[in-house]
Amino acid sequence: MSAEIVIALLAATVQSGTPILFATLGEILSEKSGVLNLGVEGVMILGALVGFVVARHSGNPLLGFVAAGLVGSAATAVHGAVCLWFQGNQVVSGLALTIFGVGLANYLGTAYIGTPAPGFSPVPLPGLSELPVIGTIFFNHDPLVYVSYLVPPLLWLFLHATRYGLGLRAAGEYPGAAVAAGLDVVAYRWLGVVGGGFFMGLGGAYLSLAYTHLWTSNLTAGRGWIAVALVIFAFWRPGRAVFGAYLFGGIMALQLRLQASGAQVPSSILLMLPYALTVFVLVLSSWRKGSSDEPAALGVNVAPVD
Amino acid sequence: MVAEVPLLRLEGISKSFGKVQANSEVSLSLSAGRILALLGENGAGKSTLMAILAGQLQPDDGSIVLDGEEVRFTSTEKAIGAGIGMVYQHFKLVEAMSVAENVSLGKKEGVWLRKGDMHHKVARLAEQYGMRVDPGARVGDLSMGEKQQVEILKLLHRQSRILIFDEPTAVLTPAEAENLFATMRLMAGQGKGIIFISHKLEEVMSVADDIAVLRRGRVVAAMPASAVTSTGALAECMVGREVLLQVDRQPLEPRQIVLKVAQLSDFGLGDISFELRQGEILGLVGVAGNGQKQLVETICGLRRPQDNAVRLLGLDWAQFFRNPSWERTLAYVPEDRQGLATCQGLSLLDNFLLTTSAGFTRGPWLQRGLAAEKARRLMEEFDIRPADLAAQAWQLSGGNLQKMVLAREFYRKPRLIVAEQPTQGLDIAAAEDVWKLLLEAREAAGILLVTGDLAEAMALSDHIGVMYRGRLVGLFAVDDEEKVALIPQMMAGLA
Repeated sequence: MSAEIVIALLAATVQSGTPILFATLGEILSEKSGVLNLGVEGVMILGALVGFVVARHSGNPLLGFVAAGLVGSAATAVHGAVCLWFQGNQVVSGLALTIFGVGLANYLGTAYIGTPAPGFSPVPLPGLSELPVIGTIFFNHDPLVYVSYLVPPLLWLFLHATRYGLGLRAAGEYPGAAVAAGLDVVAYRWLGVVGGGFFMGLGGAYLSLAYTHLWTSNLTAGRGWIAVALVIFAFWRPGRAVFGAYLFGGIMALQLRLQASGAQVPSSILLMLPYALTVFVLVLSSWRKGSSDEPAALGVNVAPVD
Repeated sequence: MVAEVPLLRLEGISKSFGKVQANSEVSLSLSAGRILALLGENGAGKSTLMAILAGQLQPDDGSIVLDGEEVRFTSTEKAIGAGIGMVYQHFKLVEAMSVAENVSLGKKEGVWLRKGDMHHKVARLAEQYGMRVDPGARVGDLSMGEKQQVEILKLLHRQSRILIFDEPTAVLTPAEAENLFATMRLMAGQGKGIIFISHKLEEVMSVADDIAVLRRGRVVAAMPASAVTSTGALAECMVGREVLLQVDRQPLEPRQIVLKVAQLSDFGLGDISFELRQGEILGLVGVAGNGQKQLVETICGLRRPQDNAVRLLGLDWAQFFRNPSWERTLAYVPEDRQGLATCQGLSLLDNFLLTTSAGFTRGPWLQRGLAAEKARRLMEEFDIRPADLAAQAWQLSGGNLQKMVLAREFYRKPRLIVAEQPTQGLDIAAAEDVWKLLLEAREAAGILLVTGDLAEAMALSDHIGVMYRGRLVGLFAVDDEEKVALIPQMMAGLA
């Protein structure tokens, strides 16, 4: 392979990793507050559809992008109500959200299959995009990719340098300690759930507004599940999530290229690669569990105070 | 003392849970700069009283007066705001966070945490009170003593004026406990009021300025520490001697030995020897935490003693527990009837089958019909309500649950019974039932009764053993009046 092909592949890696990155960061925010949300796939696809529809009717892709985030928050609010108000099982509620979200988006989206909508196109960053190699890989993308560069450090700052982040982490680690400190655990968990849903929605919208500029059924194709697995791989740290998301982006970009180049491998095997990697990565990260930042009270509901 | 307004006054606090009166007209007073020790056995109502102070529970009656003004704590947040801080027995710390983060948790002003500032503040506070904790250390890596210091730092950081310590030394080494007492004195010296909950007499005597003794939900004594003439008198206050119920106990002819403990010295126990015969009840008394738990766990097969130290029904410990059989069995009635004795979410039938299932199996199949029939008969016999096998364990009151445990354990006709605090937390009627059942059971069995209630031991036992610091400091017949009079002194390690 020539250097040019490698650079092109790496640039594609960043692009296909971006939606997974948004979703993974959203799930990290939710799980850090102690709420496991297995509905990422459903929330992403709802975001993808709503982003596409809003952009098509308003002609403004940015409006579509923001609307997708809001719809993501609204969808996860259902999960929040089940888990935080009614003490429902987080796993079951999340699975239901995925099944519901995928079904609803596919149903409502039928009319939009094959229709055009305005999306985001690459905008080389002046100066930075001139850099050799790095410029092409990182700074020759659509604006949403640049937004995605800002989210991990901001999320880290929120979690570790603000008192709200501290409270949110305490709610996910040991709600009893947060209560003893006079904090409202349920409010912090709401923040985690709804804030996380916003990023999941953005991840979905990236697929329909920047990655493909199209709406098709099952557009997310399991990326939500990959995000759930990546949270574990990332040890619940935003920085490692970037690495994980690009790893998967790379595999996805690679299998697309291999298919296009007519490699002598059945396409179904290539399509399977990212998901096989998911299993591999989970096994790998369970070996090094000791250094993980898994919230101790993840998945444990908080009993209401009487 | 001058007639100054006390920092905190409790006036006639009462709280009951169903039929059980946890606190009854409790009045206490705490002055600034003094350490008030609250003494009492498990179940005396200390924890309930403190939960009321911390805003977790609302009293049925009575009032809390802070700085001369009546206050109501409807939430923990309100109590914290009023300057009341608790150091819980089970620490409320986030293990994955640093010391400084834990201390700053719950701060109300600003958005940014400013790590350097935070560390600096915590370090200064720690130094001020003679503590050595690194603000950057992860709490999960700290020792129990250090974790407790973090809890204290949290309260100091919030500028709590009243600090409540719930059994603070239970998890500490003696050296750590000494450090804690020094810190407590230092804090009192700065005008804070401190409440120290404990059942360890020596500790209370060494650190407290005032002492209040709680028993069965009431304050039975309150005095300055200087007025205490002997710890024996305190012990007597704690366990009480007045008999609330009378049961008719006719001594039985003791038969063969069912339990023989000879020079048992493991697990902090010191050279314990005694025999228990069928037809006999041996009451083990002592302030909790003096080795009773270790002794019971050893006898019941949870800890392995050295060879030949414990013989059950004529067999050595290892032999006895290696080959359990239906006929040769030991019944254990644990103190923790909700956790160890029963499964809260299972039906009464399933709970009945927990230890009796071996009697209702044919091949791989469980004969539930047969078990239900037997269990139904037992419920009638033991008067368990509701008499509904489908009810779940958590739906039963403490007394009925305890009777259900006894019914189950006695079903196998055990020849050795170990009963731990069998009437703790029960109302009088239920306690009386349990006593009668134990007296009946001794026809076929020898019973080791471990209790913190002297009246109970006196009412039921043929012999009394007194435990202190892992040793059996006294063992005598219950009608040996001379020795019986010395029990409080023995419990305090004085005789």
